[in-house]
Amino acid sequence: MDDFEKYIKENRYLFDEHRADKSKIWDNIESGLNSPKPIILWRSPVLRVAASILILVGAFSIINLFFNSTFNHKSNNNIVNQELRDIDTYYKDLVAFQVQLVKNNSKLQEEEKEEFLSFMDELDEEYNSLKLEMTKNLNNEYILEAIVNNYKKRIELIENLLKQINDSKKSNENEGYIL
Amino acid sequence: METNILYRHKDLVEKSKSGDRNSQYQLYELYVDAMYNVSMRILGTKEDAEDIVQDSFVEAFKNLKSFRYESTFGSWLKRIVINKSINHLKIKKIAIIPFEYQEYNISEDSNDYDEEINTSIQNRDIYKIKKGIKCLPDGYRQIINLYLIEGYDHIEIAEILGISISTSKSQYHRAKKKLIEIVNTL
Repeated sequence: MDDFEKYIKENRYLFDEHRADKSKIWDNIESGLNSPKPIILWRSPVLRVAASILILVGAFSIINLFFNSTFNHKSNNNIVNQELRDIDTYYKDLVAFQVQLVKNNSKLQEEEKEEFLSFMDELDEEYNSLKLEMTKNLNNEYILEAIVNNYKKRIELIENLLKQINDSKKSNENEGYIL
Repeated sequence: METNILYRHKDLVEKSKSGDRNSQYQLYELYVDAMYNVSMRILGTKEDAEDIVQDSFVEAFKNLKSFRYESTFGSWLKRIVINKSINHLKIKKIAIIPFEYQEYNISEDSNDYDEEINTSIQNRDIYKIKKGIKCLPDGYRQIINLYLIEGYDHIEIAEILGISISTSKSQYHRAKKKLIEIVNTL
């Protein structure tokens, strides 16, 4: 150590030329000490890594779920739902129109009408249970098919009935003609 | 004797460990000015130094249980202040050791090293030295402060600044040469 270094080291205290604002700093220290100590949950680095992985996996699955439900599900579901609704309203209107025709037909006997309507009610019930099943399991093709068949049956039923009426009409007319 | 120094203010430290605010304040009063000066020498601004001193005391009191009289309380605390101050500088992105620029400057003048020191001895004036240190580039100022004023050896300085011991030594010698140069011109 040379004299220059020695001189500075000996007079070190002379370099403390500043005075701290004691009360101001202490106030801040006190408030810093009074604030609650953060609770460290993951002291062990292994646990910390495990926790981070868990968070990552969790976040990933949530994002995945979100994307699936919003994009895939939504777009798929929308298309399917729209198609389904279209089919449904088409057949419903058709059936309703024909049922009304039957109801208004004066040539049919009450008994026949009742029989027909009870049969329709049965099909209605079947349709409702199928629809319930649909909400539980949308992708089931069998149920979709069953619903369509249900409608087809109704239409067939109505068509048969109307055919019968027309046939009897025709035969009556023919008879008249002959007569 | 050495053990006595290590256990200086043991009572206050022990009471502070158990959270006695009064003892903590007494320790604070004993050391605040010294710590403030340490931080001021590194950071140079009042606001920054106050923040660092405040954070250091809070950290020291919160972690006092880990203090086991391996050094004096003062030097333990001073190390916290110095580390925090240096980190603060790093955050502010001030180069701690700007090597190259100064190296070129110094290699240009080929004055004899010992001669410089001899002249400086005739010029021993703390006021001039203080002023000279302030005129030093940041990196040189840090190493002069740590070695001559804070009293750390090169092993400790290497650790504090994150440099090798030989870098610490060579930088210190260059810094000292530069300081003497400046002091002589004042």
